[in-house]
Amino acid sequence: MTFGLLLCLLLGFAGRLVHAGEATRQKIVSLAPSVTETLFALGLGDRLVGETTYCDYPAEAKKLPKIGDFMNPSLEAVLAKKPDLILGVTGATDPVKAREMERLGLKVVLVSVANLNDILASTRIIGALLGSDKAGENLAAKITAQVEEVKKKVSPAPRRSVLLVVGFQPLIAVGGRNFIDELITLAGGDNIAGSAAQPWLNLPDEIVVAKAPEVIIEAGMGSERESGKRWGDLKSVPAVRERRIYSYPSDKILRPGPRFGEALAEIARLIHPECFANPASLSNERSRCERPGP
Amino acid sequence: MSTAIRIKDLAFAYGERNVLGGVSLAIEKGEMIGILGPNGSGKTTLLKILSAVLRCAGLVELNGKDLRSYGRRELSRLFAVVPQESQINFPFTLAEIVLMGRASHHSPLGLEGPRDLEAARRSLEATETSLLADRYLHELSGGEKQRVMIARALAQEAEILLLDEPAAFLDLKHQVRAFELMRRLNRERGLTIVAALHDLNLAALFFPRLAMLSGGKVYRDGPAREVLSEENILEVYGVEVRVEMDASRERPQVFLRT
Amino acid sequence: MNVLDRRKMIRVNGILFLLLILSVIGCSLVGPVAVNLWRALENLFSPDANAEILFRARLPRVLLGVAIGGGMAACGVVLQALLRNPLACPQMLGVSGGASLGGILGLIFFPNWLLPVAGGLLGEISWVPLAAFLGALLSMVLVYRFSLFHGRLHPYHLLLSGVIFNSFIAALIMFLNSIVDFYQAQGLLFWLMGSLSTRAYLTVAFIWAYVVLGFLWLWAKGLPLNLITLGEETAMQLGVETGALQRQVFVASSLMIGAMVSISGMIGFVGLMIPHVMRLIVGSDHRLLLPASFLAGGIFLSWADTLARVLLAPAELPVGIVTAFFGGPFFLLLLYREGRKKLAL
Repeated sequence: MTFGLLLCLLLGFAGRLVHAGEATRQKIVSLAPSVTETLFALGLGDRLVGETTYCDYPAEAKKLPKIGDFMNPSLEAVLAKKPDLILGVTGATDPVKAREMERLGLKVVLVSVANLNDILASTRIIGALLGSDKAGENLAAKITAQVEEVKKKVSPAPRRSVLLVVGFQPLIAVGGRNFIDELITLAGGDNIAGSAAQPWLNLPDEIVVAKAPEVIIEAGMGSERESGKRWGDLKSVPAVRERRIYSYPSDKILRPGPRFGEALAEIARLIHPECFANPASLSNERSRCERPGP
Repeated sequence: MSTAIRIKDLAFAYGERNVLGGVSLAIEKGEMIGILGPNGSGKTTLLKILSAVLRCAGLVELNGKDLRSYGRRELSRLFAVVPQESQINFPFTLAEIVLMGRASHHSPLGLEGPRDLEAARRSLEATETSLLADRYLHELSGGEKQRVMIARALAQEAEILLLDEPAAFLDLKHQVRAFELMRRLNRERGLTIVAALHDLNLAALFFPRLAMLSGGKVYRDGPAREVLSEENILEVYGVEVRVEMDASRERPQVFLRT
Repeated sequence: MNVLDRRKMIRVNGILFLLLILSVIGCSLVGPVAVNLWRALENLFSPDANAEILFRARLPRVLLGVAIGGGMAACGVVLQALLRNPLACPQMLGVSGGASLGGILGLIFFPNWLLPVAGGLLGEISWVPLAAFLGALLSMVLVYRFSLFHGRLHPYHLLLSGVIFNSFIAALIMFLNSIVDFYQAQGLLFWLMGSLSTRAYLTVAFIWAYVVLGFLWLWAKGLPLNLITLGEETAMQLGVETGALQRQVFVASSLMIGAMVSISGMIGFVGLMIPHVMRLIVGSDHRLLLPASFLAGGIFLSWADTLARVLLAPAELPVGIVTAFFGGPFFLLLLYREGRKKLAL
């Protein structure tokens, strides 16, 4: 499930920035998985001396020492690492703990990753903070390119209504005002729960039927085999009728970090499979990546 | 007269504390007997044993049959108990509480019938609580509550009435009324009455037979003028008193020496 | 003398039953989404959004709400009598704690396991409610053993055992919540807070059978329950086998509560409040209080669930929050107006 990531978006404080300058060989502690990924993507993974227990990408990150989870980093563990810089994420990192660390003389920077623009900005900011402005800019450009490619691929097709489920018993769906909702939109989808103010919410079945999603994506749930069973009786829902119910086990990729573009591509593939298929292999009209003609 | 209750070598202990040991007593049908004794002498315990709330060692026979062989519902048609105090946490009206005395007279799955309502009404009249019928128990004074308990016991229409200090909270007028009621019931309906009493004088005036408990046994058992002697009272209660016969020369009255 | 008679029984229960039917209909028609009833009826057997919303998404949960609201209220009444304590409620016995723990363990270790019913013919049910029910049974047995003295379940011991057991379980649950994957923890929390969301008529039928049978059995004990509120000794003297009554009532209500919590999580407040509300309206005689509370509980919970669906649409509020939030002030108002007369305030 991708709650923790959605938590990043809850409070939406503005990120506090510190000007770059203290560049070389800094020891960094990361308080969020997306930060860890960004650091490695910028080639600065070797400067990481501590990270959260949820930081598991890339493979090298798994071996690094842990300082607690991103809701509850251990102050002592962080102090013990004697970091020069502590990087966190607004909305996920506990602002009280951040202030504590500052009061103890540590330098803490929180970046916002609430939407795509902020994610891109965060790579630049982090790059700049560590004297790798160029790497930050390149990473932002790479993500942007990935996003643009997907947008281009799905633009001919009509928007499909999407339900992205992150939990069952009870049914939890991705809501509005968060980066995953934006991702769905970029992928040519229309999040049926996007009008909600909460980033994730318990959705009653009648809303699902009423909004009639054309695609249902079950993120982080069990196997493909079980996914169809849960919806079988709601045949008025297009996604059920047309069997567009997909399980998405690799939900860990859904992070507001460097892999945003990859995640976008994967989700877009589920929403508009016809736009990613080899055109030569398609035969019937229904599976062509275009708006239906007059 | 047949023996209603026969007690032989009854013994009872609360855990380690022996309260009663070797109590033997025979009560005839239609008798009115008062149980005397200081606090802790086992009066309440004895009544609880008789109403099958507590189990004892020894023999207790009711109408010739072992008490233990009776079912509870059957027993509640034979015994009616007026407890010393009651703690009721829920808002029931008096009428409802008195009607509960009729529980063993109608099916547990049904509501009370006209006979039950009639019995309840008569009990309320006998205890002069009719006007309070629709009031809630917690609105009443201690004395009124006790009369309601007596009314409930009467509504049970049982052969034997067991009362635990029934006059404890009553004012003078109602004390006298309560005991007069008991005497009337005894004479008119032949109810067997066993009452634990602390007021020696009232006991002497209303109860033809008294049994005084001491040291877990029946110390004295007989008519009031035999049981209520200055020596007995000193021995059992540890108080020096003066005993004189009342105006009718039949019943002793106890006066404190100060 | 104003006492319970057949006319009052029929009148009170009749009115409540009618209100219940109206509530079932009303709650099925009301929701965050507008539904066209005629179209729904026309398309009962073809895929149609109206029909599916009404008959697959809403009606099962309304019916579940009626069963659980009624069951919780009835158990609340009975427990208040058994424990002779007006603050008693279904949560106190420890059974709901055990069910919650069982459910949590199920959600952590085997959330996707399914058990085929009748060889798969009647569909499948999740293992989570089964695990919860096993937890309920286990805790029932434990609390029972700890409270049994000389064949009697003394209210004092029951209360204490239940409360201590619940605290222990709550600590365990918090511990589990803290060590699992953060994402899982959020899901566990939602489950714990309770939800009537269901589309499975099989589940609803099962709970209905369970709750109605349990309620009927308890209703038959109405008179002994009246007597036991007078005190254990007095009840004995009035003909009640109190030891047997306590044991049977404890087991019956524990089983009911265990089943209900297993299916829908812990929905609180209904079992505490409805008995008191109905006591203020219809009196304390359990022969009327039990059916009246059962019906009123069903009415209350189905409307609470409707509010839960509507208030923050499209999101669904945990129904336990709605019951407390709206039930609380209503109860206080009623208490203020009627209680002064009836409860020695």
